[in-house]
Amino acid sequence: MTATLTTCPYCGTGCMLYLLSDGQGRLVGVEPSAGHPVSRGQLCVKGWNAHAFVQHPDRLKTPLVRRNGTLEPAGWDEALDLVHQRFRQISAAHGPDSLVFFSSAKVGNEENYLLMKLARVGYGTNNIDHCARLCHSSTVTGLVETLGSGAMTNTVACLDETDLVLVIGSNTTEQHPLIGSRILQATQRGCRLIVADGRRIKLSRHADLHLRHRNGTDVALLNGIMQQILELGLENRAFIEERTENFTALQESLAAFTPERVAAITGLQADEITAAARMFGTAKRAMLLYAMGITQHSHGVDNVRAVSNLALLTGNLGKPGTGVNPLRGQNNVQGACDMGALPDVLTGYQKVAEPSVRDRFAAAWGRPLPDRPGLMATHAFDAALAGRARAFFILGENPVLSEANQAHVVKALAAIDFLVVVDIFPTETSAFADVVLPAACYAEKDGTFTSTERRVQRFRRALPPPGEARADWEILSALLERCGLPAGYPGPGQIMDEIAAVTPSYGGISYPRLEESGLQWPCPNHDHPGTPILHRQSCTRGKGRFSPVDFRPSRELPDAAYPLLLNTGRTGMHWHTGTMTRRSHLLDREEHSAFIEIHPEDAARLSIRDRQQVSVESRRGEVRVMATLTDRVPLGQVFMPFHFVEGAANALTNNALDPESGIPEFKVCAVRITPC
Amino acid sequence: MLKRLDRADLEKLLAALATGYRLLTPQRLADGTRLHRPHGEGALALQGEPVQRKPTEAFFPQHDPLLRIGEQGEVTTCDPPDRPVALFGLNAADLACIAFIDRFFADPPADDHYLARRKDALLVGLTGFAGPGGDFLPPANGMCDLELLALGQNWLGVPWTPRGEALLEGFPDGEQAEVEELQETARTRGNPAQDLLEKAAGLVASEVVPDDFWREIGDRCILCSGCNLACPTCTCFCVEDRQEQAATLRSRVWDSCQFDAFMREASGHNPLGTEALRTRRRIHHKLAADVTRWGEFGCLLCGRCDRVCPTGIGIQAVAAEILARFGA
Ligand code: SF4
Ligand code: SF4
Ligand code: SF4
Repeated sequence: MTATLTTCPYCGTGCMLYLLSDGQGRLVGVEPSAGHPVSRGQLCVKGWNAHAFVQHPDRLKTPLVRRNGTLEPAGWDEALDLVHQRFRQISAAHGPDSLVFFSSAKVGNEENYLLMKLARVGYGTNNIDHCARLCHSSTVTGLVETLGSGAMTNTVACLDETDLVLVIGSNTTEQHPLIGSRILQATQRGCRLIVADGRRIKLSRHADLHLRHRNGTDVALLNGIMQQILELGLENRAFIEERTENFTALQESLAAFTPERVAAITGLQADEITAAARMFGTAKRAMLLYAMGITQHSHGVDNVRAVSNLALLTGNLGKPGTGVNPLRGQNNVQGACDMGALPDVLTGYQKVAEPSVRDRFAAAWGRPLPDRPGLMATHAFDAALAGRARAFFILGENPVLSEANQAHVVKALAAIDFLVVVDIFPTETSAFADVVLPAACYAEKDGTFTSTERRVQRFRRALPPPGEARADWEILSALLERCGLPAGYPGPGQIMDEIAAVTPSYGGISYPRLEESGLQWPCPNHDHPGTPILHRQSCTRGKGRFSPVDFRPSRELPDAAYPLLLNTGRTGMHWHTGTMTRRSHLLDREEHSAFIEIHPEDAARLSIRDRQQVSVESRRGEVRVMATLTDRVPLGQVFMPFHFVEGAANALTNNALDPESGIPEFKVCAVRITPC
Repeated sequence: MLKRLDRADLEKLLAALATGYRLLTPQRLADGTRLHRPHGEGALALQGEPVQRKPTEAFFPQHDPLLRIGEQGEVTTCDPPDRPVALFGLNAADLACIAFIDRFFADPPADDHYLARRKDALLVGLTGFAGPGGDFLPPANGMCDLELLALGQNWLGVPWTPRGEALLEGFPDGEQAEVEELQETARTRGNPAQDLLEKAAGLVASEVVPDDFWREIGDRCILCSGCNLACPTCTCFCVEDRQEQAATLRSRVWDSCQFDAFMREASGHNPLGTEALRTRRRIHHKLAADVTRWGEFGCLLCGRCDRVCPTGIGIQAVAAEILARFGA
């Protein structure tokens, strides 16, 4: 029997757990870490099942190379040589920017770092991005502008000392369960709760106020609340004067957002907006929590700005129990961003466009860096269809199911010359690959993940990878070497040392310091204890900047032909495209087929019964799924999770992008439903 | 027979146990978790809260391969480890929990797979001043092969089976008066948690707890399944079949009655289709149904579900709430 202390591979909450194995190489279960400040001896259902997919027989065990149209087993050297040779050829023929690299928020910091290094100085392109583009790119853009740092400002433990929590666009008990439970515990001790969400999510049953505004009207709602805060004189004048700038512009922009007008846009009652303003404005300490409901819109960055404005207006920043708290989705999406797996920044958000930054990295890496920011993942598919992007390297992502507008992605992947997929299971995306490389999963290698509260913590090897599968950092090291770059890292610990040397916010991070429950960045030097709360004396950028925003409607709203609004998201049992959870017995049993939530009155009008098969069509595609009749969704809105290949929500969604962050509008598109 | 062991004697006893058994002892790990680990791997933690993981997992693991079905339909069973386990350092509640599920699995038709691990296993109780920070734990008075009653730096050794007697052979004798004193301490302290549970159970059984209450509690459940997975008296499992090349590996996996799919029928209908009904069932089963079936509560107050529940609705918390609201 062995017990290996490691970090949960699912959500960004970052619980730690023990993986238990029988000593003969078989995982037998999971036990939560009792001493960890977030898990505290508890886990959610996915954490309790974190061992279940690891030894599934479907695991990829050997490299595969496409020969005469079929993927066939190959040796590592053969597969890696082929990858390198084809990338070199395509780069020579079409320029380095014809190569595109997708990194992964599921793999370690060290691996994200190596892949972005490989893309930038191995193959000479800044075309590196990952799924943060689809979840919190709006946050990174919006909060860097207003506060100077695009991460959660406070910690999970702050929920124990706050007086009010405003949750907007986050189904926290299902998506960040151990943060959601902490909110429920806070309400038990008397903390007030406002939930702004069209759906009747679990948290709403505990809310003092549940605002069911129309999807896509968050800017109007937040502006309306701020307008009323000013009207009631509940703004924090001292904070505004000392710590912020651009207040007058904000004030002017809010004037038009009267409760009546906001009520007309959002579908709420005017007095609900005033009530929210009074509750929020009078709270001594208030925390703002948000997630995909805010970010995944064609005006996602504006939504984030509005959230940030509300915190600044009321002085809820820089102290315990407050803050702007974007809940990051994947176990390591915070880390993948920190590591610079983004087209415009290097590690620690150092800008590629800045010559001094490039010089420093060039000195550290021994090669010059390309100076033009690269392609965003969501633009890469357009580039592929235009013939500009010709080879993709996709590490641990499954865009065929996760990107908006599946048909578009499939067309793009079919159009390119060469596709490499590195993954732990065969996926809908690897089916298109020319080379598939089998990777070790989190339980089979060492490394670090950075959780949503900026906590850098260890994951540890509990057993060897299956067959010939290798850790991603080993695969990437082999490619770096083929590019003539030194990559003889003895282990991920030494990669972290290199990261610390080039990243001020990770400067004090090293494996020996991460033994127990990790460190929260910024941690600039080896004596620094880490930073639980950001923006304490001043914001990272100096003054907090009010960034006024106007309301823009979503790009595709219901009409006569497609009369229902489709909202998409996730459930508590499954994870993203289901590669892991649909191979976990209990999770898959709990929810084992695709479904769509529809309001009973809409269903009655369309003659749809509970559990009936229906066809759901949008302008981009059609799927067949089971109808679930429930008043969780408001009238006129339907909801689908995107976990299921047999009823792929993203065959329907709209790839209308936010102009600044490039995030697709996953939360709003128009559909029609017919019984089959 | 009654023995008195000092630290050196205790080490001697552990060494003897380690030769015949796969000895597991409570150890405190780097993050503060107290777990049963192979003896000698880390430092012994002789005092503390109940070990994090339920001790019954030694006989009924979370994921347990039962048999392989070959291509031709031939069945081979998966054998238990060759050396029996010795579980050292169990408190009275944990021992009672093991006794509880022994009866369940041994009740005809007996579960061979469970018994294969259980039959030669050795249980060592550790009670007396062995709680967190040396707090008092009531003696188990049986349910194990031998019990050590902690007195501080010394332990009274009480054998309850011939195997226990053999293991204590040769150690210096102890004073019966010291045992009496511990028993007296247990009597004077009473068991307030048990009293609370009994009162709440009375209210649950007499149906005075309204549906609204269960809805309210159910609304707080985030469906982590931890309360069941952590509970040493929970015995429900489901069966997982995995195709491994030509063979099928059949395993049993801890299940949870908090899941929707636990009772869902193939038609989709579910007699326990809401969190309220499932939460009511979890509590009702342990405090009322088990009493009818076995004549005792299905909760032996090990404390794990209250510790593991992220939203504070473990059995003791719910019992306290029932009593506060409906106990007048
Ligand atoms: S809350 Fe997130 S990190 Fe914690 S156990 Fe659940 S999925 Fe894992
Ligand atoms: S306290 Fe909870 S976990 Fe322990 S026996 Fe009772 S019900 Fe089970
Ligand atoms: S431990 Fe609590 S939250 Fe988890 S399933 Fe049980 S009652 Fe629900």
